[in-house]
Amino acid sequence: MAATLTSSPSAAEILSLFRSFIRIARQFPDYNIREYTKRRAVDAFRQNATLSNPSSISDAFSYGKSQLEVAKRQAVVYSLYVPPLPSIMDLPNKPF
Amino acid sequence: MTSKLVASTLRQHLTKNTNLLRRHPLSTATAAALTAEPQTHEETGGITMKGVKISGRPLYLDVQATSPVDPRVLDAMLPFYLSRYGNPHSRTHFYGWESDNAVEHARSQVASLIGASPKEIVFTSGATESNNISIKGVMHFYKEKKKHVITTQTEHKCVLDSCRHLQQEGFDVTYLPVESDGLVDLEKLRDSIRPDTGLVSVMAVNNEIGVVQPMEEIGKICKEFNVPFHTDAAQALGKIHVDVDKWNVSLMSLSGHKIYGPKGVGALYLRRRPRIRVEPQMNGGGQERGIRSGTLATPLVVGMGAACEVAMKEMEYDEKRISALQQRLLNGIREKLDGVVVNGSMERRYVGNLNLSFAYVEGESLLMGLKEVAVSSGSACTSASLEPSYVLRALGVEEDMAHTSIRFGIGRFTTEAEIDRAVHLTVQQVEKLREMSPLYEMVKEGINIKDIQWSQH
Repeated sequence: MAATLTSSPSAAEILSLFRSFIRIARQFPDYNIREYTKRRAVDAFRQNATLSNPSSISDAFSYGKSQLEVAKRQAVVYSLYVPPLPSIMDLPNKPF
Repeated sequence: MTSKLVASTLRQHLTKNTNLLRRHPLSTATAAALTAEPQTHEETGGITMKGVKISGRPLYLDVQATSPVDPRVLDAMLPFYLSRYGNPHSRTHFYGWESDNAVEHARSQVASLIGASPKEIVFTSGATESNNISIKGVMHFYKEKKKHVITTQTEHKCVLDSCRHLQQEGFDVTYLPVESDGLVDLEKLRDSIRPDTGLVSVMAVNNEIGVVQPMEEIGKICKEFNVPFHTDAAQALGKIHVDVDKWNVSLMSLSGHKIYGPKGVGALYLRRRPRIRVEPQMNGGGQERGIRSGTLATPLVVGMGAACEVAMKEMEYDEKRISALQQRLLNGIREKLDGVVVNGSMERRYVGNLNLSFAYVEGESLLMGLKEVAVSSGSACTSASLEPSYVLRALGVEEDMAHTSIRFGIGRFTTEAEIDRAVHLTVQQVEKLREMSPLYEMVKEGINIKDIQWSQH
């Protein structure tokens, strides 16, 4: 347990976490939440790309993992209560 | 009656849609009744509501009225709707203890966002209740010596109404006028403080025009005269930096549903040193140190705490994004339309609020035309009346411009595509209305509308 906490995650692990966020974001039926989850993940990973201190990298990684769990649970909740009318932004024929 | 009718038609439409899409096994009776409904537009799958055909959920640009619940907040709340249902005031068993721990954790989350101690936070049902406790509670408690309240003309309705209530009880209220940019004149405030002034109440961020008042300066004046300072920070919390010590506030009202939290919960900050005391509005079991009796709604309180924590983490990120979106919206509209005026100061303004007036356009037609954009002409509380907003009138905005105001609210979940769409639709609608307007034609011909002598009839 202590070992996993102190050792910083590998690049492959980080990339996989990022991919999971993008995948889970797509599952939100709500337009705004879907876009936000995607955007927030991209921006957070981009911002944290400059981190060099191993402990702050592993902190950011475990925070990301906990946020991914939240997103997983909420994607289920949101998909249980899809409103009958989709968002106007999700309609295929936009006026412009 | 009308609302009942609307509700029943809506329900019918909704059930019909689900029937079409999923073959819901709900009831054949509603489906049979619906065959006589001509209003559903099957080709788009839209519905008709209040006589407006809606093809999809409109894009939401009204976050000053209320904000959507953040999924992270809902995630924190849900366990307290399931197995953790204990009464936080139950001291004899596990259920009570775990709820109590959750409430105290939420209290510290709220306190750390405003730089207070958790002991100074009282949970209420919302900012309206907090405002009522603050204004009536303080004045009732100190009524022997203090008879005078100072507030501004642009406050929220619940502050103004509480003050009106106090006036009926014999208290004296000064409603400070504001400058044309929406800010209070500090000299006027200083001049109106009397020896028997018991409270100064000025809201931090205006709900309609988003103007940020000079809180630190007002706090200094109040400290100088040793007058308690109350602020309604419902629109400020989580959006601008709120610090109770910097602002020197004695009381502060907070709301949950303006910061991506749940509706039905708010908080009141009550300073301990120097101590400010209030007369409770609700008496009962003595919860919240007797200031607000009644069992706390644990899930809502937990939600408010979580919303505060998220707001603390996200404030910088959100502000950067929202201010870029505000610029995009304003530039987009200004590029294509003339006669667009921003109401309230542009320099001292919360970036998520853009209150615009469109000249030579009638406001209600514009709002009804913008059915794919959820915006409002001002505060949600007064959106039922056709009267122009009292806030805009207090700024000295002329009647015709006050009638055409639209408040665009940009929030955490607003996207660039939504802003572009809103710009497109607003420009389209304003141009359409101006084309029909004889006034606009006259202006184009160079006639000054103010000089016209309208014949009486």
